[in-house]
Amino acid sequence: MQGLLAIAWLTWKAALRFRLFLVIAVLLLGAVIGLPLLIKDDGTARGFTQILLTYTLSAITALLGLSTLWLSCGTLARDIEECQIQVVAVKPVGRWQIWLGKWLGIVSLNAVLLAIAGGSVYGLLLWRARQLPAQEQKTLAKEVLIARGSIKPPDFQREIEAETDRVLEERRQKSNSGPVNWREVRLEIREQIKARFQLVPPSSMRQWRIQLGVLKSLLRDQPLQLRIKFNAADKSPSGTFVGLWQIGVPQKTAFWRSDPMSLAPDTFHEFEIPRNLFDQDGVLTISFANDNNTVLLFPLGSGIEVLYREGGFGLNFARGLGILFCWMSLLAAIGLTAASFLSFPVAAFFSLGLLTVALSSGTLSTVVSEGTVAGSNPESGVAGHSVLDVVAVPIFRGILAVVRLVEDFSPIDSLSSGRSISWGELGAAFSQIVLLLGGSVGLIGMAILSRRELATAQGTQ
Amino acid sequence: MRGRAYKAMLVVIAAALLAGLSRVQDQMNRDRELLGLTRVQPLENAPPVLAFTTIALGGFRGLISNMLWIRAAELQDEDKFFEMVQLADWITKLEPHYIQVWIFEAWNMGWNISVKFHDYADRWRWLRRGMELLRDEALKYNPHEILLYRELAWIFQDKMGKNTDDASLYYKRQWVGEMGQIFKQERPDFDELIHPATEDARKRAQLLRDKFKMDPAFMKEVDKLYGPLEWRLPEAHAIYWAAFGMQVARDNPRRINPKDLITLRRVIYQSMLLSFQRGRLEISPVSFEFGPNLDVIPRVNEAYEHNFAEDDMYKGDIQRAHHNFLKQAVYSLYVNNRLNEAARWYRYIAEKYPDRRLLESDFNSFPRNLTLDQFAVDRVQEDVKDTSHDRTKTAVEGLLVNFYSSLVLDQDERAVGFRNLARKVYDSYEAQVPKGREQAMGLGPFDVLQRGVLDRLLDPEHGAPPQIRAILRTKLKLPAETAPAKEEAAPAQGSAGK
Repeated sequence: MQGLLAIAWLTWKAALRFRLFLVIAVLLLGAVIGLPLLIKDDGTARGFTQILLTYTLSAITALLGLSTLWLSCGTLARDIEECQIQVVAVKPVGRWQIWLGKWLGIVSLNAVLLAIAGGSVYGLLLWRARQLPAQEQKTLAKEVLIARGSIKPPDFQREIEAETDRVLEERRQKSNSGPVNWREVRLEIREQIKARFQLVPPSSMRQWRIQLGVLKSLLRDQPLQLRIKFNAADKSPSGTFVGLWQIGVPQKTAFWRSDPMSLAPDTFHEFEIPRNLFDQDGVLTISFANDNNTVLLFPLGSGIEVLYREGGFGLNFARGLGILFCWMSLLAAIGLTAASFLSFPVAAFFSLGLLTVALSSGTLSTVVSEGTVAGSNPESGVAGHSVLDVVAVPIFRGILAVVRLVEDFSPIDSLSSGRSISWGELGAAFSQIVLLLGGSVGLIGMAILSRRELATAQGTQ
Repeated sequence: MRGRAYKAMLVVIAAALLAGLSRVQDQMNRDRELLGLTRVQPLENAPPVLAFTTIALGGFRGLISNMLWIRAAELQDEDKFFEMVQLADWITKLEPHYIQVWIFEAWNMGWNISVKFHDYADRWRWLRRGMELLRDEALKYNPHEILLYRELAWIFQDKMGKNTDDASLYYKRQWVGEMGQIFKQERPDFDELIHPATEDARKRAQLLRDKFKMDPAFMKEVDKLYGPLEWRLPEAHAIYWAAFGMQVARDNPRRINPKDLITLRRVIYQSMLLSFQRGRLEISPVSFEFGPNLDVIPRVNEAYEHNFAEDDMYKGDIQRAHHNFLKQAVYSLYVNNRLNEAARWYRYIAEKYPDRRLLESDFNSFPRNLTLDQFAVDRVQEDVKDTSHDRTKTAVEGLLVNFYSSLVLDQDERAVGFRNLARKVYDSYEAQVPKGREQAMGLGPFDVLQRGVLDRLLDPEHGAPPQIRAILRTKLKLPAETAPAKEEAAPAQGSAGK
C-alpha cells in the first residue's frame, strides 16, 4: 500500500513539476468564468442556467478528458522511454502497483480539479440565481436547480403481451392459408393492441391512473409537474392541438381543470399541477380530453410522466460530478494501458482513436440497426449490402454494447433539465464504468506492463 | 552580413507591397462591388471578433457551421431549445453573407420553435428572437438583400398578423404594448419623431431607431403612400419593411434579382388588404378588438392597381385578388352605413370588372344584374350558404349581436349598418317563405328576434361581462341592473374544485 501511495504521490509531483495541474486548473476556471460572458441565451433565467450548466460542464469534461488521456499516456510512456521507470521497478514494488499507483495519482488529481471546477460552477450558478427577481428564482428552483424524480403510469407490457398471444392464437386456429410469417403477424397484432393503450380518438377522453405508492406521504402538500408528449395522426394548420386536462376525480378528490391548452405534437410539455390531487390510496388520476378532429397518441413510457421534487440541487450536482469522475477514471485507465505497450505519441494517438470511436456511437448504431455498413436508400428503405457486413456488424454490435455501458449515463443532460441523478445511478455508473470497464482495461494494462521488458524501451535515448 | 542586408531588403519590399496593396484594396473592393464580380461582399459592420473569425477560418467556416447545424437539429429533435439562440448566432456569424442561413434560422425560431411552447409568453419570446435575428443582425451585414426584408415583413404579416397561431392575439397585444412606448396617441405624430423637440420625444425617436431599426421619415412616407395605417398593428410594419426593401431595390438595381420583387409587392398588397379588413384597433378597458379600416380602401385599391400594372407575370392573379377586395370593400362600407361610398365602389366594380360574378353561388350575379342592396343581402346569405331557417336565423342574430357590439364600442354608424343588414336579410328570407307556411318556416317578428338577442346579452348569469352590460344599458337608455352583477374572473391557467 505504501508503495502504491508513493507512486501516486510521484505522479502528483510530476504533474505539479510540469505545471500541468496549474495550467489545467487555470483553463478550467477560465472556461467556467469566461463562458457566461460569451454565451447567448434564450432570454430567460431558466434558459441561461441550462446553457451555462451544459456549456461549463461540457467544457470541463472535454478539458479534463483530454488532459487525463495526455497525462496518463505521458506519465507511463515517458517514464519507460526515459528509463526512469527502471529506478522504480528495481524497488520492492510490483509492476501492477506501478500501474495502479499512477492511475490513483491521476484520478486523485482529476478529483481535485473536478472539485475546483465543479465548485466554481456551483458557486457561480447560485450567485447568479440570487441576482434574479424572486419570481425567476422560484422558477429556477422548481425547474432547474432541483433534483426531480419521475413517476410514470404502468406500461401494461404484460397485458399487451398476453393479449397479443391470445389474439395470435385465435388467428392461428382460424388460419387456413399457406405459410404465414407469424413473427410479422405477431408484431402487427402487438402494435394494434398497444395502440388501444395509447390512442385518444377525436372528441373523447383518456384516463391514466398513476400509483404514487410509498411516495404518497412524501408528496403531500408538494406541487407536482406533469410532463407530457403526444403524436398526432394529422397536421393542424396552426401546428398545435387543443388539449384539456383534468387531474383528480370530482366528488372523490380535490381536482383541477386546465384551460384549453395549445399544445404542439412531438414535443415535451411541462406544467405545474396543484398539490394534493391524489386519493387516499395514493392514486393520481389524470384525464385528457381530445377536442380536435384527429387522433392523438400518447406513447407508453414517455407520453405521461409526473415529476416531483426528490432532493436538492447541491447533492444532485455532486452526484453528476461523480459520474464525470467515473468517465475520467476510465480514460485514465485507457491511457495508462495504451502507454503500457506503446510509445507516448502512439499511445496518445491510440487513446484518442478509441475516444473517437466511442463518440461515433451514432454511426455504429446506424450500422447495427440497418445490419450493413453499406447504408440504405432513405427513399425506398432498401438496405444495402457489403461483404464486410459478416465481420463488421457483429464487431460494431460488440463495441456498441461496451460504449453503451458508458453512454447510458448523461449527467449534464439530467442536471440541465433538473432531473434527479439517483445514488443508484451513481452506483451503477461506478460499477459499469470504473469497476467493470476500467477494471478490465486496467487488468490488461497491468498484465502487459508486468510482462514488458522495460530495459529495451529506450526510444528517446 | 550580406544575408542580413538581403533579409532586411526583403522585409522592406514586403512592407512596401503591403502598403501598396492596402491603397489598392479599397479601390478593388469598390470595383468588385460596382461590376458585380462576386456575390461574396466584404463584411461590413462586423465586430472585430467576427471579422477575424471569418478571415482566419477561411473555408473551414463551412465545416464548423455544418457541425453546429447538425447539433442544432439534434437538439431540436430532443426538444432542447435553450442552446438554439447560441447555435443560431454562431451559424449565422460563420456564414454572414449566406442569406438562406439567416432566413432559415429566423423562420425556425419564429415558426417551428415558438409553437413548441404552450405558454404564449415563451412563444412570443421565440418569435421576437427570430424577428431580431433578421432585423438586428442579418440586415446589418446584408443591407441590400431584399429577401431578408421580405422575410422580416412576412413575420409581421403571417405570424403576427394572421390568426393561424393560437397565440396570435397575444402577439398583437405584445406588439401594441411595444409600440405604445413609441406612439403616445393613436395616430403617430411623425414630425415629432423626425424632429424631436422634447426630451420625451427624443427618447422615443431614439428607441424607434435603435431598438426597432425604423426611420420615422420613411414611416411618414409609407403612411402617406399606403395609409393611414395603424402603426400599433403588425400589418403596418409588414408594409414598412416590404416598402423599405423596395426602396433598397430601387437604390441598388444591379444588386438585386428582379424576380424577388414580386415577393415584396405581395406582402404590401396582402398586408394592405389586412389593414383594410381589421386595421383599426379598438382597445377599451374590457376589450381588445379589431375593426375594418375603411379609410384605407382607396389606398389599398391603388396598391392593387399599381401592382398588377407592374407585374405582367402575375397580373391575372392580382386582378382576381383585387376583385375580391373590391367586393369586400363594398360590403364593409354597406355594413358600416357608408352607403354613398359603398355605391361609388359598387359602380367602380361594375366598370372595372363588368363580366365577373359577384357571388360564387349565382352564375348570373354580374354587377349589371344586382343592386347594391341585393348584393349585400345575398352576400350574407351566401355566407350562410343556403336559405334554411336555422342558418338564416343564426345569421340575423349574428348581425344583431354585431349591432349591439358596435354600440358598445361607440361605433354608432357601423351599428346602424349591421341592424339594417339584419333587417334586409330577414325581409329577404321572409319574402321567400311560401304562403301558409309562415308558422313553420318563418323567423317570427323581427322585433322579437332583436329583443331575444338583447335579453341574452343582458342576462346577468350567462350574458356579456358586467362592464359590457352596463355600457349597453347606458347606450340603450335602459335602467341599471337591479341586483349587483357577480364579478366574473376566469382563472389564468385552470380552475380548481373539490
